[in-house]
Amino acid sequence: MVALENSIMVKDRPATAGSKILENFVSPFSAGVVDKLAESGITIADERASACEFGIPNLFEKEDADVRIPADSAICNDIFGVYRKHAAQSGHCYIHPTYGTVSRFGLISLAASMDQAGVFCKDAREGFKLLSAIAGHDERDGAMFPQKSYSYAPSAGAVKIGLPGFAHGLDFAGKLETTAVTLPHFEALKQVMYILFSGEFSNNVSRYDGIKFGFRAEGCRGVNDLYLKTRTQGFGAQTKLAAVTGSMVLSQEKYAPYYEQAMKIRRAVKDGLPFDKCDVIALPATLGGTHYDDMALYALPVLAGLPCLAFSAGGQGVQLIADIHNEQALLAAWEVLA
Amino acid sequence: MLDIRSYEAMAKLDLPEQERAWAASGMNKLAKDFDALQDINTTGLEPLVSVLDIKNVLREDVAVKTISRATLLASAPEEYDGYFQVPKTL
Repeated sequence: MVALENSIMVKDRPATAGSKILENFVSPFSAGVVDKLAESGITIADERASACEFGIPNLFEKEDADVRIPADSAICNDIFGVYRKHAAQSGHCYIHPTYGTVSRFGLISLAASMDQAGVFCKDAREGFKLLSAIAGHDERDGAMFPQKSYSYAPSAGAVKIGLPGFAHGLDFAGKLETTAVTLPHFEALKQVMYILFSGEFSNNVSRYDGIKFGFRAEGCRGVNDLYLKTRTQGFGAQTKLAAVTGSMVLSQEKYAPYYEQAMKIRRAVKDGLPFDKCDVIALPATLGGTHYDDMALYALPVLAGLPCLAFSAGGQGVQLIADIHNEQALLAAWEVLA
Repeated sequence: MLDIRSYEAMAKLDLPEQERAWAASGMNKLAKDFDALQDINTTGLEPLVSVLDIKNVLREDVAVKTISRATLLASAPEEYDGYFQVPKTL
């Protein structure tokens, strides 16, 4: 039995992404992952997994998001790390797969270059089995690897862990070899992440206009009033902040210094990954700051499309990040550390 | 303090005063942080739009049946005679 996050569409069932703006929305079709689950004979739970509206936590608060996982495992879209953090704190695992391996068709879009369904599970071995059931090319998603199916097994040989300077507090008790690595522009990742997310997000939420589907405000005079009232009443605070920030970073004045600069840094980050020195990078699952302060921790897999596994290793919350399509190194490391 | 009303208008939002003050304060913090990116030398780097090198893969240009008009209109808040209905515009 697998629960789906409320952002994944199932034909004839509601999908709200936790937002009032989608409160009356009933999906006219099913997501690619739903089709894949049906092909594998996996039952979908009636109750939805959820965290926060459109997956955006309270940016300037430390309080954890209200994560609900109503089954042994769930399929979610984790851009801001709320599911990864929750998994590591609650003795579960969260697998964020390589971008382009799981279909985004029917996943309510937040930021197309970052959206990727992943697996929340009790045990990484079981989680990777579930991932293999939902991974594979879907022609309805235009940004996927052509590979039709995936199976995940632990890599052979010892896994070497790369530890960035600020993660030296992580202790793996000598179970795996570690080496010091540098992550390019790590100090800028939270800005890069939020600039690029908010820009893409503000475009994506332009579809919520009160006309085609979802919530519509009452007493509107004319179409512009309909847009303004529907969106102002239908979106929560963090969604509005992201939409307005997105408008700022995409504005004529700010596009070059903010949005374009963030895209260039994203390239430098991807090009400078230290996988010539290690098999996986280890990061803490939380630093105890606000969601914005800690955003850099969760940004790397999302910005560079890398596979990541969050779990508790000897009581410490950890995220392991591997190179593209090297999920087997994550599984091998988990088998030693968990 | 940042005046966010023009950005609100672009996002088709009209925030109540209290919410506007909260959002402006948040965006002020963010903008100060964003400004620090100017210190990073990105000369010669091309903006990265997608992390995949794969280009959009298009299917054959063959007509397929997708969702019916009736199904799509069933999700609309208001529908009239097979069309989306909006408030009077003129």
